Amino acid sequence: MKKFVLVASVLLAVYSCKKEGAKKENTTETSSEAPKSSNKIVSLNGGITEIISALGHEKEIVGTDVTSTYPESLKATAKNLGHVRSITIEPIMAVSPTLILASDKDINPELLNKIKSSGIKAEVFNQEFSVDGTKKLIEQVAKAVGNTDYQKLIDKIDADMKLVQPIAKKPKVLFIYARGNNLMVAGKNTPMEKLIGLAGGENAINDFEDFKPLTPEAVVKANPDVLFFFTSGLQGAGGNDAVLKMPGVSQTNAGKNKKIIAMDGGLVSSFGPRLGEAAVGLNKLLIENTK
Amino acid sequence: MRTQSKLYFYFTLSAVLLVIIAVMALNTGVYDFNGVSPFTVFWQFVKGDQSLSLSDKYVIWDVRAARIVMAVLVGSMLAVSGTSLQGLFKNPLATGESIGLTSGATLLAAIAIVLGGHFREYLPEFVQFSLVGIAAFLGALLAMMLVYRISTSAGKTNVVMMLLSGVAITSIGFSITGFLIYISKDDQLRDLTFWNMGSLAAATWTKNSVLAVVILISYIVLLPKGKALNAMMLGEKDAQHLGINVERLKKQIVVITALMVGTCVAFSGTIGFVGLIVPYILRLLFKSNYTYILPLSAICGSVLLLIADTFSRSIVAPSELPIGILTSLIGGPIFIAILIKFKKSL
Repeated sequence: MKKFVLVASVLLAVYSCKKEGAKKENTTETSSEAPKSSNKIVSLNGGITEIISALGHEKEIVGTDVTSTYPESLKATAKNLGHVRSITIEPIMAVSPTLILASDKDINPELLNKIKSSGIKAEVFNQEFSVDGTKKLIEQVAKAVGNTDYQKLIDKIDADMKLVQPIAKKPKVLFIYARGNNLMVAGKNTPMEKLIGLAGGENAINDFEDFKPLTPEAVVKANPDVLFFFTSGLQGAGGNDAVLKMPGVSQTNAGKNKKIIAMDGGLVSSFGPRLGEAAVGLNKLLIENTK
Repeated sequence: MRTQSKLYFYFTLSAVLLVIIAVMALNTGVYDFNGVSPFTVFWQFVKGDQSLSLSDKYVIWDVRAARIVMAVLVGSMLAVSGTSLQGLFKNPLATGESIGLTSGATLLAAIAIVLGGHFREYLPEFVQFSLVGIAAFLGALLAMMLVYRISTSAGKTNVVMMLLSGVAITSIGFSITGFLIYISKDDQLRDLTFWNMGSLAAATWTKNSVLAVVILISYIVLLPKGKALNAMMLGEKDAQHLGINVERLKKQIVVITALMVGTCVAFSGTIGFVGLIVPYILRLLFKSNYTYILPLSAICGSVLLLIADTFSRSIVAPSELPIGILTSLIGGPIFIAILIKFKKSL
């Protein structure tokens, strides 16, 4: 009897082990059968996020940075990890990505080191703020997410760019980046300078590079024809009336003629698939405001 | 003997507390180990379990554990540097910040961040790698020497002079850092502001091993100096009569605190008030007996900073609060308390 129990229990044990082993095999099989393209992507740049989504991989995005505001539907499916300069590695790891994409313009070197040593596949793209640069970025991002069907995005930019109408007398445009009380103006080699150029305008400031705090004298000296804001920035600065009262503004052509325009920040600054749209939009506003 | 056992008692108590907090910190974070407890994962890592996924391994060891160890090392060094400076200057208000050390370190580190690109390539490779760290140490050392020169005449340190020259150095440091902020690009600017408020997010095991070497050298020299610092309280002449080489002691403290503050600033930015709070609390318990408060501040500094860091990375998750905000929030009121308590003697 004892023998029988012993044999039975051994058999039972062997059987249950087998069963479990078989189960395990099954689960690994199903996971390897899943479509190859299903990455879990963390995108740390608005433009890159737009490209991924336009390529039809929106569902794969699990985490984004604060500049990834388009498409709107991402809010529901991807976790906002904050500003790329202050994101730390653990929240990124927490969404367990298989691919991290970022732009070299804004990623924090400490974070980049951490990402590299985490062993997760990551690509950091060199982002140039031009039509060609954007096309190149689209191509690179498409490759990274395993998609070859990117030509339509490039064609769309070309088609849109053809709609930009030449403006005979290039208006001088001053971009003001308003964040609370902190007002910065765009100098040379900023995305805003490049976009203004693409839209047929001329950047009002050529004395310095990057963004600098706004000073009344600089505004008067630049004498822009149009003041250009992000929609959110214009609201934050207190709207048109408040802008007209800013030091120096009333002395400029833009101030005298009350030419203040605003566009969505995500649209105009991301240099993604909607670059053409942004240029056409700005081009229209410039034509309307320089009549 | 009784005092000795009292020291051991408090030391053990703080060490146990530190271990408990470290364990809690290991358990805190936004990463989810598929429902497995972080302790289990940590234990698996320690045993060298092969089944542990790469991500789990990375988060538990290179992210959380590295950060906890960095908090322990930096907190300890900041507190000990505060305590030693207070012993040296015979004043509870002397800390890395109040006498301008932090500002000096910050300034030179900021120069390295913003302008480093222009001269980095001309430097030897080893220096390039640790440029910011070296700059921070030099900044702290320069500030320390300056304050000491200005406030000491004929072997006597004038406390008011010391604090005022600290204020002056801090304001010079801030203004030049402000200028650097003005000329910096948007990304450098963000680095500078975040780094000005301190963060342990960039902790790595390489940095921890540098910190460990610094702490080891510093503590071998500093921690046995309790008796000497007690003697210094009587005045430098009396200390000399008791057989203490006062000049040598002063030089050692100056160089070592500069080394500690500089390295801490370089790796974790400006973390305020740790050097003030910890010795203050210990002084309430043990008066100004440095044989107690010197070794105890080494461990209590770790406790404080580890608590602050664990809060900083969990209260606004998935984002995190710069740790300097938290320590300054606790430190400000304590600073005022010290001012009120020592009103008459200032």
